[in-house]
Amino acid sequence: MLTIYKREMSSYFRSPIAYCIAGFFMVIVGLYFWIQNILSSSPLFSVTLSAIGMFLTFIIPIITMKLLADEKKNGTEVLLRTAPISMGQVVVGKYLAAFTVFLAMALLTTVFPIILLFLTEGGTNSAAGQDFGAYVGFILLGASYLAVTMFTSSFTESQTAAAVSGVVTLLVLYFMQSIGATLGGTFGGILKWFSPLARYSDFTVGSFNFASLIYYITFTMLFLYATVINLERKRWS
Amino acid sequence: MIEIKNLTKQYGVIKALDDVSFSVKKGEILGFLGPNGAGKSTTMNILTGYISPTSGHAIIDGYDIIENPKEAKKKIGYLPELPPLYLDMTIKEYLNFICDLKGVEQKKRKAQLDDIMYLVKIGDLRGRVIRNLSKGYKQRVGLAQALVGNPEVLILDEPTVGLDPKQIIEIRKLIGALRHEHTIILSTHILSEVNAVCSNVVIINKGKIAASGSVSDFTSAEGTVNKFMISIVGAKPAIQKVLENCPGVRNVSFVRIDKDACIFLVESTRNLDVRRPLFNELSRASLPILELRPVGRTLEEIFIDVVNKDAVVEQ
Repeated sequence: MLTIYKREMSSYFRSPIAYCIAGFFMVIVGLYFWIQNILSSSPLFSVTLSAIGMFLTFIIPIITMKLLADEKKNGTEVLLRTAPISMGQVVVGKYLAAFTVFLAMALLTTVFPIILLFLTEGGTNSAAGQDFGAYVGFILLGASYLAVTMFTSSFTESQTAAAVSGVVTLLVLYFMQSIGATLGGTFGGILKWFSPLARYSDFTVGSFNFASLIYYITFTMLFLYATVINLERKRWS
Repeated sequence: MIEIKNLTKQYGVIKALDDVSFSVKKGEILGFLGPNGAGKSTTMNILTGYISPTSGHAIIDGYDIIENPKEAKKKIGYLPELPPLYLDMTIKEYLNFICDLKGVEQKKRKAQLDDIMYLVKIGDLRGRVIRNLSKGYKQRVGLAQALVGNPEVLILDEPTVGLDPKQIIEIRKLIGALRHEHTIILSTHILSEVNAVCSNVVIINKGKIAASGSVSDFTSAEGTVNKFMISIVGAKPAIQKVLENCPGVRNVSFVRIDKDACIFLVESTRNLDVRRPLFNELSRASLPILELRPVGRTLEEIFIDVVNKDAVVEQ
């Protein structure tokens, strides 16, 4: 597992995609930071985090698109499948590498709340707790998105197809909340309950919900498991 | 060492493998022959655990690849048709990754990698990125990958495809050198390759084993040889007449003229050595023999026979 993780990490640092996406992400966050915090003089960075949650829909699939598709295209999938390691180790190793890249990107954005800290009179930020909670939510949301897009990418050998199917799936998840709200009733309620984004907004307004934490972890593990099953299934078909 | 029992693989309605069984003893080099699409790669993919069979077993040194995949896979080095290379890594990084993957101990690693790189002659290129290597060198890196961890069994799927003649000879030599420490299955559709390196042959056609045995059994399968290539100095009609009248000769066919000599293919009746009468008759007619050589069936002929026979049966 560590082997796979190390290999994926070095591959991320070698390719320009990770740097591009991190740069793009910082620009977006910076822009929102300017509008939401500086221009409107708000000390709450969680407001910005809440707004950029939507952009994960486009950023996460780009992080995960190469993980499985590239192996199939280069024929290196054979190597992993015939090596004395399990598919679970491969999937988890790759997932953790993608998660590390995402985590690094999230860490980069902490420069903004630190700026806010300096701008706030007296140097103390009463919103620190809420910002921290929002970060936890942000990372959990990203973690679950990574797992979903890794699963969708396990169906294809083309990076483009992997990215597109990932974006589409995340868009569906994104709209689940509003669809649920429109429909109302029990079915709408269920949709809303399952929407990862609805739970994320709980975090950004400063309410820490233990059930949501469990939800995200289960969600992530479920899709990782589904990825393993999907890859194992191909052995038999 | 390797045992394959009643292997069947079904892709939808197509049976890629149909009840295939054979075994390879320790130290053997088995040539796995067959036309394209006969099921060679499918068999190898099952044997290495890349895909699973619909039914049947593949057992490596006592470990079933389905029931005991980890142990079985440790015993195998596999070079697939397309070498599984990470193009963005250098040779050294790549082989180190393979060591990690196969769990080679850290302290043994350096010596082992040096050995392997020396053996496949890529030591000077260890810092080069794989993407920039030529096809021949990529193949060598692929072979190096299979050798990491010193597996007892090597499975090589068409290892010389796409290489130039010099590289082909080098790779064959290398495989020959590996025979002392490894049991090898080598798939190919190049028959001279089998003649050059293999001790045993399995011919597979349309998912079924069409023939199997040792290479020497195959090439002299007819028992006594009854075909001779003969090269004689003289005029063609005169030679032909003498040959046809020679006792024991059943059939004479003209092959070609080579400088002042004519070359004929002479077939005798079965179980009769026709060489002495030929010599006597030709010397009586003052026709000097330049060359007289028995012709065994080549693997090519056997292969085509086997493949065609199946086609006829089917019709």
